[in-house]
Amino acid sequence: MLQVRGLAYDLPDGRPLVEGMDLDLPRGRNLLLAGAVGTGRGHLLKVLAGTERPRAGEVKIAGIPVWPGEGALGLAGRVRMGFAFPAGGLLSNLSLVDNVALPLRFLGLPRAEVARRVGEALARLGLESVADLRPHAVSAAARKHANLARVLALDPELILLDGPLEGLDATDRDLALGLISGWALDSGRTLLLAMEGRDLPPGPEFQTLDLHAPHSPSEPS
Amino acid sequence: MAFLARIGAPVRGFLEFLGDQAHLVWRTLRSGLALRSGQLAVVGGQTKLQIRFTGLDAGALVVGTALLLGAVTLIQAFSQLSGLGAENYIGTLMVLIILRELGPLLTAVLVIGRSATAIAAELGTMQLNGEVDALAAHGVDPYRYLLLPRWAGVLVAVFALVVCFDAAALGGGFLVARLKYGITWGFFMGSVRQALSNLDFTATLLKVFFFSGAITFHACHFGLRVQRSQTEVPQAVTRTVVSALVAVFVIDGLLAACFYF
Repeated sequence: MLQVRGLAYDLPDGRPLVEGMDLDLPRGRNLLLAGAVGTGRGHLLKVLAGTERPRAGEVKIAGIPVWPGEGALGLAGRVRMGFAFPAGGLLSNLSLVDNVALPLRFLGLPRAEVARRVGEALARLGLESVADLRPHAVSAAARKHANLARVLALDPELILLDGPLEGLDATDRDLALGLISGWALDSGRTLLLAMEGRDLPPGPEFQTLDLHAPHSPSEPS
Repeated sequence: MAFLARIGAPVRGFLEFLGDQAHLVWRTLRSGLALRSGQLAVVGGQTKLQIRFTGLDAGALVVGTALLLGAVTLIQAFSQLSGLGAENYIGTLMVLIILRELGPLLTAVLVIGRSATAIAAELGTMQLNGEVDALAAHGVDPYRYLLLPRWAGVLVAVFALVVCFDAAALGGGFLVARLKYGITWGFFMGSVRQALSNLDFTATLLKVFFFSGAITFHACHFGLRVQRSQTEVPQAVTRTVVSALVAVFVIDGLLAACFYF
């Protein structure tokens, strides 16, 4: 599903994050980019998703060139991808329900199907009561959940989650963990998770890329 | 060598800017041509919002400005040409000054001040919040969702505003002509019609097309270049205004040279 060859990326402050990184992640497998906030894991996730350009190297998703290439735009209509951002990432002029629905509307799904999927995703994440509010009017936890709801409604084959548990209380954390575990155990989906290793959901296997160590992914843990 | 480098750097910067603009236009056109029927409602909704903001919300401002400009133009003309049969040149004056030049040009200036600034600030803020990245990551082509509706909306709005501007300016001019010389509506419009040619309509339509393109893509270019800090947003807005004004005046000069020189 994900192929990386000779990837090199420098952080905005000029420090190299990865140099000559190779990676193969078959469809249905999971990858953990392990590192604390500030290690550059979010940047690496964006490079792999095709929204941030690397200095050098190749990234392919489902055999489609992302870098060098036009990034995530080249995947539109060919690979269904969902990305949950650690903060922001929701359109500030749309309500949560419209944020979740937008990618589905853009896929051209029938209105009833969009409404069903959005309703189910918002209900699963406990967002029905704030669904008509805009992102600035809801809590940070609700914004994180709305990011997850958008991924859930889209039903993607490739899922990228950046710090999905940070800043959540125990209840919200359990809700998110349940969802993440389900995705990680689903053999039809490939999951890339950027978070601290100790927060890993129990059960599913993860190939780990430790961002504090030299960069070659370990065997599944 | 240092002197050559000093000359070369801005030239290279300008060529890069032109290349970026051409890339934006090409990608937006391409995304428009690939628009699927299921996406029409989303893109159409965004286009309607842009037309409302750029066109409807600016209507009163444009009509008021044009009314005053039409009246002032004839007041000044009569004050300078009184006794020389100024009333015989009313149509020529209105067509030459207002319909050919100031109508499209001042409309573009007002749209730059109201809408280009807003587009640049909005896109800059969206970049900072990761909203543009989020769109791309979820299969929503930002060229199709953000740029195409803005271009189409500004195009429709500028066309409508130029028509309103010209009509209001003629109205303002007629009021002065009526009060000063007692000229009738029929004589006034006959004089304007006589001075108007098909060339003027063609030139105005081309101005609307190129002005709206320049306004939209300058705003999108500078807005989408915002990367790291909130302080880049006002800088993007300032650059948009200066750059779009220069572009509009250059296009106006080129079209005037092509059509009337």
